[in-house]
Amino acid sequence: MADFFLQALAQVGTPSVLLLILIGVLFGIIGGSIPGFTVTMAILVVFPFTFAMDPVSGVSLMVGVFVGGYSGGIVSGVMLGIPGTPSSITTVYDGYPMAQRGEPGRALGIGVAASFIGTLISVAVLVYFGPLLASFSMNFRPWEITALIIFALTLVAGLSHGALLKGLLAAALGLLITTVGYDRNSNLRFDFGFDALGAGFEMLPVMIGIFAFSQLMGNLEKLRDDPQSAKGANTNVAIPYTLILRDMAGQKLNTLRSSLIGSLIGALPGTGGTVANFVSYDQAKKFSRHPERFGTGIPDGIVASEASNSAVAGGAFVPTLALGIPGDLPMAIMMGVLILHGITPGPLMFEQNPVLVGAIYASLMIGAVVMVLCQLLLVRWFAKISLIPQQVLVPVVLMLCAIGSYALNNNLFDVWVLFAFGILGYLLWKASVPLTPLILGVVLGNNLERQLFRALELESSWLTFLTRPLSALFLALAVASVIFSLYQNRKIQRLQADGATSRNA
Amino acid sequence: MLTLTKDRALALAMLALTGILLAETRNIAPPTSWQPYGSALFPQILLGIIAVLSLLLLLRTFFVSPADRKDEPDRPRRSLAAWIRHNGTVLSLFGLFGLYALLLPLIGYLPATLAFLVTSLALLLGIDTRRKWIINLTVSCTLAPLVYVIFRFVLNVWLP
Repeated sequence: MADFFLQALAQVGTPSVLLLILIGVLFGIIGGSIPGFTVTMAILVVFPFTFAMDPVSGVSLMVGVFVGGYSGGIVSGVMLGIPGTPSSITTVYDGYPMAQRGEPGRALGIGVAASFIGTLISVAVLVYFGPLLASFSMNFRPWEITALIIFALTLVAGLSHGALLKGLLAAALGLLITTVGYDRNSNLRFDFGFDALGAGFEMLPVMIGIFAFSQLMGNLEKLRDDPQSAKGANTNVAIPYTLILRDMAGQKLNTLRSSLIGSLIGALPGTGGTVANFVSYDQAKKFSRHPERFGTGIPDGIVASEASNSAVAGGAFVPTLALGIPGDLPMAIMMGVLILHGITPGPLMFEQNPVLVGAIYASLMIGAVVMVLCQLLLVRWFAKISLIPQQVLVPVVLMLCAIGSYALNNNLFDVWVLFAFGILGYLLWKASVPLTPLILGVVLGNNLERQLFRALELESSWLTFLTRPLSALFLALAVASVIFSLYQNRKIQRLQADGATSRNA
Repeated sequence: MLTLTKDRALALAMLALTGILLAETRNIAPPTSWQPYGSALFPQILLGIIAVLSLLLLLRTFFVSPADRKDEPDRPRRSLAAWIRHNGTVLSLFGLFGLYALLLPLIGYLPATLAFLVTSLALLLGIDTRRKWIINLTVSCTLAPLVYVIFRFVLNVWLP
């Protein structure tokens, strides 16, 4: 452990990689601080720039964006009252009132400090649990991996804001997309006579197309329907360091609890920062001696929200690295980066690429330090940048998406793939289809098919999936997640119906 | 009268796609003695799942009221012309992007990117004031060459 970590630290500690982490963190904070841009979009925009880099440099840059992105949401949350990313919604509850009271520097400082500690605690969780889970999953055979992928997809689909049917449909569609082109037996599928389709669709243009177009066009529609959403703010901020140290000293337990909640939730498929910050805010309120003051601008709320959403960063790496199953959208893209660099995430990664795993740990830690320095020194500038209008941002990001897709293989076909999946993603978004299961399906499709048929080639009976205990457990959990999601939907509908009845009474 | 709601349109589109792709799976090489499961089985399983889910979605639109369908908010229906007018900016931006993809190999990265940025910024920002033109041209003329320099000279990636 110590050996490979020292080797990794030596590789990450070079000036060029440190510079990349700095650039990543800066871009991540900027991306996270612009309302509607989101961490995922920041990662997608930076992804193409890693093509020509070695794996350690590419991954370090991406980790920088990841760490910066999760902390960036606080800037617009505090300054504008609009969360920069969905994972900082509860930051607004106390951050904005504190800023309105004339203490924006204090709110930002508390949030940044909590983000920093949250990230470090989540790295500790990753360092401890990552190898443990990986060594446990070394016993997984194709049956278990197939069942685990099915479980991850049903879980993510089930958590799709009450749209279970559409979530499952999206996941199946994502899997179907990966069947285009030559398969494992070198047979052509769904090429419709076009040579270009023989190689199938590259994962990157498909992911960018589906996510970026729907997100950007959605932002424009929101702006059209609610022009007031683009507001200005006073960006004059001074950080009161002594007061923040005093505030944080009184929040030790809250910080630790929220960071652990964030790490744990980050490690669960389909949850991510948004769920983490709600759960931890709720827990902080329940454990507080003054719950009635939450929402009025107190440090407790900011700490709970920011420590937990930043802790998602380390936690989310646990299943991605140890099992090869990304839990959310940013992690799915991160997995795409690793695959692009010829590395297959999964239990073997800890044996075959320990230095790269160490580089991820080191980048997360260095990224956290760089993030806190950047935020404290440059917060005024980030606040100004968060005011960039969507009208300027959208064409620029679309252009970067096109160039990124082209640069993947120097192939214009990939730009058309981006465009086609952009249209598909936008239409599906308009039809309220959740896009996360779709993208996870695209990422996991090839592996699912490979593992499924490897299992059937080893043992031709499909019943083996049910006779092997772990495989049966994962399949049972998949069914349970669907049933639970149905139950939750029914419960929500009942509550809404009761609400409507009592309003009418 | 039956109306084409979003869910119905989605379900019907998915069923049509399933039909086309299921027919296409007949063109996939059949199973052999050393590939007993063949290459068509996996997509056929997925298409079967998609068909069942689409049918359920379609059936739900007849048996569950829109108010109970959390994932399909009840919104006022518009005619196609009104919908196109309402979404004119987004549709134009899609059109501009398609044109950009078309122009990239024909006139090269720099002219195509400049044209795309200037026109799309003009579409979104407007062209009614001098300030908007200054923002438009500053962003376009700075970013297009900057991205070229980064890809070409820092990352060694050729652009068209």
